[in-house]
Amino acid sequence: MSESFTASEMYTWIEQGVPHLYLDVRNEADFARFHVEGPQDIELLNIPYFDFLEQPEESVAQLDASRSIRVICAKEGSAQFIADMLEEFGFGDIQWLAKGIIAWGNVLVAKQVPTPDHYELWQFNRPGKASCAYGLIHGDELMLFDISKNLDYYREFALARNLSLVAVFETHLQADYISGGPSLAAEFEVDYIAHEGDFGTSNVAYRGVVDGESIGFSKAGGPSVLCTHSPGHTPGSTTYVIDDKYMISGDTVFIVSVGRPDLGKKVVEWAKQLYATLKNRISVLPDDLMVLPSHYTDWGREANADHLIINDFGTVKTLNESIYALTSEDEFVSWVEANMRPQPEEYIRIRKVNANIETVDLATAEELDLGKNQCAASQG
Amino acid sequence: MSHNDEIDCSGMSCPLPVVKSKMKIDTMNPGEVLKIITTDPGSCKDIPAWANRVGHEMIEEAEENGKYYFLVKRGE
Repeated sequence: MSESFTASEMYTWIEQGVPHLYLDVRNEADFARFHVEGPQDIELLNIPYFDFLEQPEESVAQLDASRSIRVICAKEGSAQFIADMLEEFGFGDIQWLAKGIIAWGNVLVAKQVPTPDHYELWQFNRPGKASCAYGLIHGDELMLFDISKNLDYYREFALARNLSLVAVFETHLQADYISGGPSLAAEFEVDYIAHEGDFGTSNVAYRGVVDGESIGFSKAGGPSVLCTHSPGHTPGSTTYVIDDKYMISGDTVFIVSVGRPDLGKKVVEWAKQLYATLKNRISVLPDDLMVLPSHYTDWGREANADHLIINDFGTVKTLNESIYALTSEDEFVSWVEANMRPQPEEYIRIRKVNANIETVDLATAEELDLGKNQCAASQG
Repeated sequence: MSHNDEIDCSGMSCPLPVVKSKMKIDTMNPGEVLKIITTDPGSCKDIPAWANRVGHEMIEEAEENGKYYFLVKRGE
């Protein structure tokens, strides 16, 4: 009987460059929609499990028995089935992914962002979604930003460090993943801080953020969180500037590209807002501010040597010169329109779930939540 | 549409609905139709993907009260 591996182990192998061959046995459509990507390139093959049923010898012959092979499927049953089959064919080093691709989709990797000694800033990278949440710690208090629905992870993070959650921030009403913010804030009876522009018509209990306000920790000497309304990707998008050193930029500024303003079907109106935001509120921020975005698309271009998704704003502007150099609203709107592409159909429903207008069961939530984000205004 | 044989895979999860369907249809003649019943949501993509890939014909797919129904005509 073959053994299993966890999604977190898989992340570590990818990050460390362990040369496994990954075999995804899901059907081709599901594979095309979403598959494993990480900070380093991997060898990944898609051979549906039913190929192994119909043509065992031909299918097995596509694999090298001397390799270590890690098998992936939707839930785990088919991967285990194929792993056992490969063992019967004499393969020596075969394991299957426990709990399937959904487990990979929910994996969080915590990495510490270098900061002054008196506080900590953590990036919680979700490689399956290519999204990032953040945690800011001062003393025994924790603030969280843009968290996913993997609440156990955040409970354990706080518990292991003996931290009290004091606030949960949202940069905007997310369309590409289900937020864990309202639930966790309610559970710990702390403010869920978000902007009225996105949450005014929602059924979510939130504390409205005011442009220009500064939110701090209860103990003196901690970093402040300066709230800057930065509409465009959504009407309520807010950028949180921490200690004048970091910007948690949500889906407004990415390391590569900017947040697409076409998701609300008001592309011209929102694109004009985004243009004004970038010109008047974002470009004026200092070049040495470190950008910490909600999303990335390409590890190779957007991660640093420690696999943190971070860069200084000066470099970000250089990387996106063609966007930041657009000098008129009309040019910017044209650029947005030229780069538009369909949004995944589940985004409409995810927004409703995040606004608490619709509730879904866990299985539906997992299904909606799977897949890489499509939040950038341009590709590549 | 009528069918020649039927297999009920209710309660089974991946890969069993496809495994059982394959074993059943292998006993049938080309042109005959197998009705497959499943409850695993994963099967609603996998049964058609399997049928198309191995040369069977997907004739009908339906969902009712949490069950999925498929009619698959055996290929040559």
